[in-house]
Amino acid sequence: MCFRNLPVRFDDSGRAQLIEGARDPYALDRPVEGGAYTKISPEELDDDPRVRDWNIDPVTRVAGALAVHTKLDFERRMAVEAHSMAMLFRGYELILQGRDPRDAIDISSRACGVCGGVHSTVSSLAIEQAFGIKPPPMGVLVRNLGEAAEMLYDHPLHLGLLAGPDYSTALVEITNPELVDRARQTLAAGADVHGYKTIGDIMDAMNPLTGAYYLEALTITRLCREMCSLMYGKYPHPSTLVPGGVMTTISTSTFNEFYTRLVKMFDYAKKIVALWDDLVDFFLEADPDYALVGDRPINLIQTGIWDDPEAYDATYENANEWGERRYSTPGVVIDGELVTTRLHDINIGMEEFVEHSFYEDWGSAPKDPPFRRLETDPAGNPLSPYHMWNKATIPKPTGKNFKEKYSWSTAPRWDRMTVETGAYGRLWTTALARKHPANDFYEATGDGMRILLPEATLPETELFWRVPDRLNALERNRGRAYAVAWTCTVALVNLLTAFEYWRRGETKVHTNYTIPKDERVSVGFWEAGRGFLTHHLRMDGGRLTNYQIVTPSTINAAPRDPFGGLGAYEEAIVGTPILESVSEADTKGIDVLRAIRSFDPCMPCTTHIDTGRGVITRELNSCACTLE
Amino acid sequence: MSITKERELAPPGVSPVTGKADPLAPIGLRSRYEPNKRRFDKLGPLEKIYLFWIVGASCDGCTIALTGATNPGVEDLMAGNVPGLPKVEVIHTVVSVESGPEWVHNLFMADRGELDAPFVIVWEGSVMDETISGDGYWMGLGEDPETGRQITSLEWLTRLAPKAAATFAIGTCAAWGGIPAADGNVTGAMGVMDYLGKDYRSAFGLPVINVPGCSPIGDNFVETAAAVLLFLQGLAPLPEFDELGRPAWLFDETVHRHCPRAGYYEEGVFAEEYGDKECLVELGCWGPVVQCNIAERGIVNGMGGCMQMGGICIGCTMPGFPDKFSPFYATSPGHLLSSTTSRITGSFIRRLRRLTVADKNTSTRWDEDVPSGWARFRGAPRGAMKVAHRFYHAWQRRGQSYN
Repeated sequence: MCFRNLPVRFDDSGRAQLIEGARDPYALDRPVEGGAYTKISPEELDDDPRVRDWNIDPVTRVAGALAVHTKLDFERRMAVEAHSMAMLFRGYELILQGRDPRDAIDISSRACGVCGGVHSTVSSLAIEQAFGIKPPPMGVLVRNLGEAAEMLYDHPLHLGLLAGPDYSTALVEITNPELVDRARQTLAAGADVHGYKTIGDIMDAMNPLTGAYYLEALTITRLCREMCSLMYGKYPHPSTLVPGGVMTTISTSTFNEFYTRLVKMFDYAKKIVALWDDLVDFFLEADPDYALVGDRPINLIQTGIWDDPEAYDATYENANEWGERRYSTPGVVIDGELVTTRLHDINIGMEEFVEHSFYEDWGSAPKDPPFRRLETDPAGNPLSPYHMWNKATIPKPTGKNFKEKYSWSTAPRWDRMTVETGAYGRLWTTALARKHPANDFYEATGDGMRILLPEATLPETELFWRVPDRLNALERNRGRAYAVAWTCTVALVNLLTAFEYWRRGETKVHTNYTIPKDERVSVGFWEAGRGFLTHHLRMDGGRLTNYQIVTPSTINAAPRDPFGGLGAYEEAIVGTPILESVSEADTKGIDVLRAIRSFDPCMPCTTHIDTGRGVITRELNSCACTLE
Repeated sequence: MSITKERELAPPGVSPVTGKADPLAPIGLRSRYEPNKRRFDKLGPLEKIYLFWIVGASCDGCTIALTGATNPGVEDLMAGNVPGLPKVEVIHTVVSVESGPEWVHNLFMADRGELDAPFVIVWEGSVMDETISGDGYWMGLGEDPETGRQITSLEWLTRLAPKAAATFAIGTCAAWGGIPAADGNVTGAMGVMDYLGKDYRSAFGLPVINVPGCSPIGDNFVETAAAVLLFLQGLAPLPEFDELGRPAWLFDETVHRHCPRAGYYEEGVFAEEYGDKECLVELGCWGPVVQCNIAERGIVNGMGGCMQMGGICIGCTMPGFPDKFSPFYATSPGHLLSSTTSRITGSFIRRLRRLTVADKNTSTRWDEDVPSGWARFRGAPRGAMKVAHRFYHAWQRRGQSYN
């Protein structure tokens, strides 16, 4: 039984059903068990002289436009209030509607240039499911290789260029000068691997624009984008993804050039795991309160990525089976416990709310969407009216008002609870589930993940990522570093599998299709660098009638929900301590920023493309004090 | 919101703790306290320039493309490692160290003329019409520290463009409108030129410079920017731009002319299925009519490229993108005429070439037997063909003596 709040029960054969007799089963007025509520009332904060507004617009060193309004309590020395705001809307909703479904691959790709390949990939998955075709194994493997390379570019970019500077000497010496002194005297345990003698040397290397680690990260992102471009032609925005596989022309050179670059990543992965292990341990030892920075309950959701070419058949009906065979296992973790690994449960548990977003609720909108409401998914599981397949996007820009609407991000929830997603979440669900395909290079152990990196310049190295007992900023970053190592092994396993098919002469990368003219409903499940990613589509007459994207940063950057629960950034910020050792006037709010950045926010995705129905509501708000 | 409780904004530029340039202060202030590298006067008067990278309806793909550039690399530009090019102080939400009000302070400094060096604007993403966003905004960027008013990113373009030394539109969205401006556009999305108008000139007298592509090739942008900076230094001529403001040396050829598969087109051989190695025109490739240089330059470090790897060209550098190329995977109507023609002429040329290749695959010593252990080599011309080749060689070597 995986749902606590949704009116869904499972019968003896494991089929999901609505609880009988419930009137208006998806009504919003029921309390939510496990919701992310804040205990401090806004009025209490307004009257407190030690509480200061701390507004960060824009939050930098994240992808895209994010602003955060917080309140810092200098008495209790912690953040006590947070509102996360996605600042951009591009109005793509009508752009896809009525188009050839295949165009969604290239158009939806432009949702995000940072996650520059995941959208075209997941769009291909959704479309091939709608078309009822299954890609040949080599097509699946080329996607896996391209997507492993994408993660290998994405995580080092975040760790080195976006999050890294927050732990650099240049910044720490103005927020916590005592830590720099301490770091200079602390020997780094992984010095033999990463080459930095002390923690101080590591922090020097993280200095923006001048540090060795910062600059190397930039070079590495280029190397991995070269790998992407071998499979995808172009990156960002691939040019070779199609429903039924890929259109990449593969040759011996393709694999050779991929492999020579992957080998360099084996060494890089060993180095950054050692580096982040040393850095994270140093901060936690220096002040155990760093464990509270960005801390929130261990509620995670992942859709899984990298298909098993034997298992994947692109159908929704078999999604539970092929989903569990992915190299990264889908799953939901609530309070640290894995509650499901079935893609159907993940899908039907999702709802998207716009109570605090600049959109109109499609349920109460004056005009019906051009599609009927689905009561169940194609496998017969009950669906909420707030589910993506039933959602229409009706943008309604208004002035921001924290009691009402303040973000262009919607609030996706699973089982009405606030969940988060990330690269570390992939490790988490895969490690707990122990369902991934057997291979020689990584193994989930139930309490962690064993990762074996082959010898390159550095010797063969076995790493073990232990499932942390808390979910905070430092563990997110550490997990992301381990995810680089793990992704290297996934790439290697897939490359060896590709060689195997190559040897057998199974080099076909694509399955032919015809565009169906009847009504189709489908979903692509995949992951971005930051985790969870779905594209839900509906088509009829060979044209798209609705297209809805839920990205990881829509989930993480979400505003509050109708039940009063906070979004994941908001929940992580509230309770984050102010650990700077300088005076109040010189405080930089760096720990709040560390908390936000540890999620690896990616805002272009967040306010994405949807096909709605062409209604845009404009209202003049007469009140000027919208921030009240 | 009570403004009095807002944190004070008096960014000093110098850290009270270290006495050095404070990395979290606005770079417009901080940069004054950072030592300049010693420069040769012969390589131009500009030591430093500020670059405001501002986004509208963007996916950040152009930013990512920029970080992929290597000629020169963005890190070398920012560190001032390229003699002759001024050090580029970048104000960009993805790379800036400072955040929030400190970051926005840089924009105010530029607007008020307080920077100690000229600045350029690089605009990424479409321009969205904020007159139709009611009381809200399509894209907010920063708050006014005095009033708490939400400022839109478009307001910054409006305020700063006339004062900028140059305005660059990077990527197809900024240059022409791109995907946010496609059919069904509700935000009024358009390109920078559309918004600023044809009479726009930067403070240094330049119209908007467009470097299109979705995403563009990073090196196309840095190369153009470097060329303009060398011009501003008085070292190099103003690079040539075409009538649409594109760098002419990058965009005056169709991508097909340099495509590694163009030879197949010439010989009239076309890919029939995705993954085939031949010319992609019949799978929907628009390369023959699209101005782009990805076939020569690749996408990053010379690697990749759409057609090189098997992808069709969907016209992403062109003002007509996406609507004039969509549906992308349908074959263009013009192919009937052009590819049929090339099929007819190509079938002759292809056969003649095949014969010559067979002949050139045999050394002059191999008249009778080919000493390959791999397989029995059947390619050598025989009979009448052998005689024909004798005459061909004789004609080829007329007037020459090899011994």
